[in-house]
Amino acid sequence: MNQSNDPSGIDEIGCLQAIETLYAYLDGELDDPQTVASIEHHLGHCRSCYSRTEMERALTARMRRSGESRASAGLQARLRELLEKF
Amino acid sequence: MKPEVWHDFPDKSTGRAGTINLTPQPDDIRTFFSRGIEQNMDALFGVAMRLTQNTADAEDLVAESVEKAWSAIESLADHDRFRPWLFRILRNSFISKYRKQSQRPVEVSYEEPFVDEGESDLASWLIEQPEGFLSWWADPEKEALNDALGEQIMTAIAELPQAFQTTVLLINVEGLTYDEAAEVLGIPTGTVRSRMKRGRALLQKALWLQAREAGLTVAESTNQDKP
Repeated sequence: MNQSNDPSGIDEIGCLQAIETLYAYLDGELDDPQTVASIEHHLGHCRSCYSRTEMERALTARMRRSGESRASAGLQARLRELLEKF
Repeated sequence: MKPEVWHDFPDKSTGRAGTINLTPQPDDIRTFFSRGIEQNMDALFGVAMRLTQNTADAEDLVAESVEKAWSAIESLADHDRFRPWLFRILRNSFISKYRKQSQRPVEVSYEEPFVDEGESDLASWLIEQPEGFLSWWADPEKEALNDALGEQIMTAIAELPQAFQTTVLLINVEGLTYDEAAEVLGIPTGTVRSRMKRGRALLQKALWLQAREAGLTVAESTNQDKP
């Protein structure tokens, strides 16, 4: 997808490019502020990508609630006992 | 080699962390280590579960890794890297332990090379996804169905190819950063990024197929969800 500059100085990106960076964006793994600005600009204008982003956010939240592991009381006690020995 | 900079202990005169050099004392090291383990118990267990697929083995692996980490604490030069360093020890312990235990062989190689293909096809497929489906999933009113949806999601994750499944679980469920997941999996961070893109796209595709099997049609969902 070609990109061009709009008057705000933010690179215009297309849906394919937005999808390419969407997951890293949602996971807080994009370091380049220009890339973050471009994807946020695109999400502000593209209903489909905005919906996809909201879907991915909801999906991640539900995944975490459904699958997150917690150390049992037994393991916690075992580790604290170990730490006491160090 | 003892670390020279102790980021976790603030300068009493400025209150700012990471700006001073201190000669580390044994008690400081112990406090730093204990605090780090306390803060990461759940994450350590979660990652160990993803690797071993078994609660007893996961607990043993965590305990063994904590012991190894304490033995190696002086090799940790940068305290800001404590978590990824800890996860790397966990992974190395897992590999050495399971390589020795022939009666419980590792069924999946976490080190196998990953050939990335078909990414553009998946991206194209995502673009064509009906908005009704996306909106349906994003709708906060569907919270009431949370248990059922959670079950659907975990079923779809379980059906992902192992490399994608583990990466998605480590990051989106256990809360690791890409960098930390790369340490656990022994792969470059760029490969983690690539697996996340493809894994999440495959997950979305699986959910779409589930929705279609359950009778959700594009027309129904679109009409129902349009404002």
